[in-house]
Amino acid sequence: MKILEIENLSKSFESKFEVVSDCTLNIQTGNICAIVGESGSGKTTLFRLIAGLERPDKGTIRINGTLMSSDKFIRDVKDRNVGLVFQDFSLFPHLTVKENIEFGLKNNKDEKVKKLLETIKMENFPNRYPNEISGGQQQRVSLARSLAMDPELLLLDEPFSSLDTQLKSKIRLELRDIINKIGISSVFITHDIIDALEIADEIIFMDNGKIIRQCLIEDVFKEIKDAKIQNNMVELKRNAELILSALKKN
Amino acid sequence: MFLKIKHFKRDFNKWTLLIVALSLFLAIPVFSILISLFRGTGEMWEHITSYILFDYMKNSAFLIFGTGLLTFTIGTSSAWIVSKYTFRYKKIIEWLLFMPLAIPSYIVAYSYVGLMGNGGTFVEVLRDFGLSINRIEMMNIYGLIWVLSFSLYPYVYAGTRTIFQSYPSQLKHTASLLGVSEKKYFFSVALPLASPAIIGGLFLVFMEVLNDYGAAKYYGVSTFTTGIFRTWTALEDLQSSIYLSAILVILVFILVLIVKWLRGRRSYNLTQTNTNQKNANNTVKISGLKKILYLGILLIPILYGFILPLIQLVIWGLQTFDSMFNYDLIVLGLESLILGLSTALFVVFLACLLIYLSKWNYFKQFNVFSKIATLGYVIPGAIIGVGIVRTSKSLTDLFSFQFNFEIGHLVYNSILVLIYAYVFRFIAVAYNSIEGNTLKLGKNLSESSYLLGFGEIKTFFKIDFPLLKNALISSFILVLIDVMKELPLTLILKPYNLSTLALRAYEYAEDERVAEAALPALFLIFLIGTMITLLNFKLRENKQ
Repeated sequence: MKILEIENLSKSFESKFEVVSDCTLNIQTGNICAIVGESGSGKTTLFRLIAGLERPDKGTIRINGTLMSSDKFIRDVKDRNVGLVFQDFSLFPHLTVKENIEFGLKNNKDEKVKKLLETIKMENFPNRYPNEISGGQQQRVSLARSLAMDPELLLLDEPFSSLDTQLKSKIRLELRDIINKIGISSVFITHDIIDALEIADEIIFMDNGKIIRQCLIEDVFKEIKDAKIQNNMVELKRNAELILSALKKN
Repeated sequence: MFLKIKHFKRDFNKWTLLIVALSLFLAIPVFSILISLFRGTGEMWEHITSYILFDYMKNSAFLIFGTGLLTFTIGTSSAWIVSKYTFRYKKIIEWLLFMPLAIPSYIVAYSYVGLMGNGGTFVEVLRDFGLSINRIEMMNIYGLIWVLSFSLYPYVYAGTRTIFQSYPSQLKHTASLLGVSEKKYFFSVALPLASPAIIGGLFLVFMEVLNDYGAAKYYGVSTFTTGIFRTWTALEDLQSSIYLSAILVILVFILVLIVKWLRGRRSYNLTQTNTNQKNANNTVKISGLKKILYLGILLIPILYGFILPLIQLVIWGLQTFDSMFNYDLIVLGLESLILGLSTALFVVFLACLLIYLSKWNYFKQFNVFSKIATLGYVIPGAIIGVGIVRTSKSLTDLFSFQFNFEIGHLVYNSILVLIYAYVFRFIAVAYNSIEGNTLKLGKNLSESSYLLGFGEIKTFFKIDFPLLKNALISSFILVLIDVMKELPLTLILKPYNLSTLALRAYEYAEDERVAEAALPALFLIFLIGTMITLLNFKLRENKQ
């Protein structure tokens, strides 16, 4: 079963240059998928197209088998049941942590918010405002706010870019735990292959608006011939750039 | 153009339709004047071009040059002193430097005649000091430049002060290390860096000068705006006044292009200044002779732009208090306030609507219509008035000839027409200020709300509105001040049974009953002064 199916998707803005160019990809339900690429490779635009925040020039997008957009049809953002955690978290500054999480909820608010606060370990700070909590906590609140809506697909835009190296590893594992616990299909974008190697089930490489490779994480390891590296995660991380260039060449 | 016809059906939504309809509706006066140009010139046009047009152009150009020079000098020097030095009562002086905006320039013009004329208050004071002068002639183009400059310099002062205050202290330190004197630093670093703000402020001054009717008429100086009125009312040639308006519109657009070009070329200055609020604004305490000199420089615009005119008005007000202070005056004040409040409410609402419709509409090419709808601020009030009268006339004729139905009273005698004209004239004031704040908010917050299942309107009320509240209040106050001071549009379009404080003051002065104009003028200044003080509070709140 596929959670996300994209066919021949393209998007350009004022210039003729296509930011997303003829992209085709499928993501399996329940997987965590990483889209890896350098700045300007079209990752964020692809995300915005999936979420419905941009309109494609051509191609189709299906989520869980339901058509989201084509040349003739577009489903409104609010009806897509997609969660998106922005890079800057975009918490509503005038609302408390609790109010942010319950923002989109219509019923069972208290019960659901309580459960989510426990999941993100923020049960002691429901009445704090976003500017009164740390960056890591803001990220978790933003995640909880998206999860509160029980989305079919969760999108995370560069979730680790604003974190320092030490905190990054901890947050990566935390995020992976939360996503696994909820059991939601997720896609995140990153320019750092280590993020992808550490928590994703599959990776999509993007360059100049095109998808250049899509593979499962175990295939990445299989393609690395050096047994020493295969067995040593530390070395693997050190050689991340080598892996990326090898995959690009293949 | 990048119009994707293929997706027209998919992407066309109600917001696209609304933005086009609303913008076209608001810009009717502009289209009306443009269309009227094809009807040919009026009967008096040859006479105007042969004998008067050159005078209008010469006087308007000289006024722009003179007020530009003086407002530049006053505005930048006071902004520099206030942003770089600390002294006693600084906050009060900063507030007082804004206060000339509370007195409409035509009222300053009347009061100067009282101050400088035969037996005038200021002249008497000078005579007491032993000077043997009878009067200082004000009722000429030089007097008009003086009056307009001291009324309008706050436009230059406000923006320039903000820029000066944002300079990082390293900038000055670097200059000092390079051995640059304070004078050289001001002229070769500080001033060029502030040029976009100065040009912006000067542009507003030029627009106000071109829009002025009351002061120029009272001082007997023929300008484009007085010419448009004269051609229409005295020469009874609406078509020629439309042609005059068209020439003025063309000149204004040339001015807009020049300003855009100048600001565009200098915009790199701002991005290269590395402005950091933490480092910014290291003010220096001044004392001794320097303090006296700098305080003197600051007090000159306050004295000539606010205190002297106010003193004259108070003297006249006390002289005429018994006959003029009555129930009618209070009702008049309330009427002006209600008119201003309701117009400001409409303006802020429609400005918000234009901004958000532009955001919600997927065909960004159509957003150009919203720019047309906000052209009102660069079109003098008299022209907007003429445009609306032209439209009204066409509508009346259409209904009369085609349907044998008289609708004259609907378009000539309705307060809604006046409010509509105010909306077109002042919508840019609210639009620019609110748009700037929405850009600061970014789009991620509203997009988060859409992703959480809310539509555009609910998102606006739940997210944008609470975060923009202060900006909306500030815009509301700015528009209210402008509407209460407005004269040319009100003169042309007011219904028979309506008057405003501004209009009443103008009417008394026109009837050579200048002293009786004082109480309505003072009432107006009191109301506007209160608004400016409120705005000051709101702006400080926004900063925090």
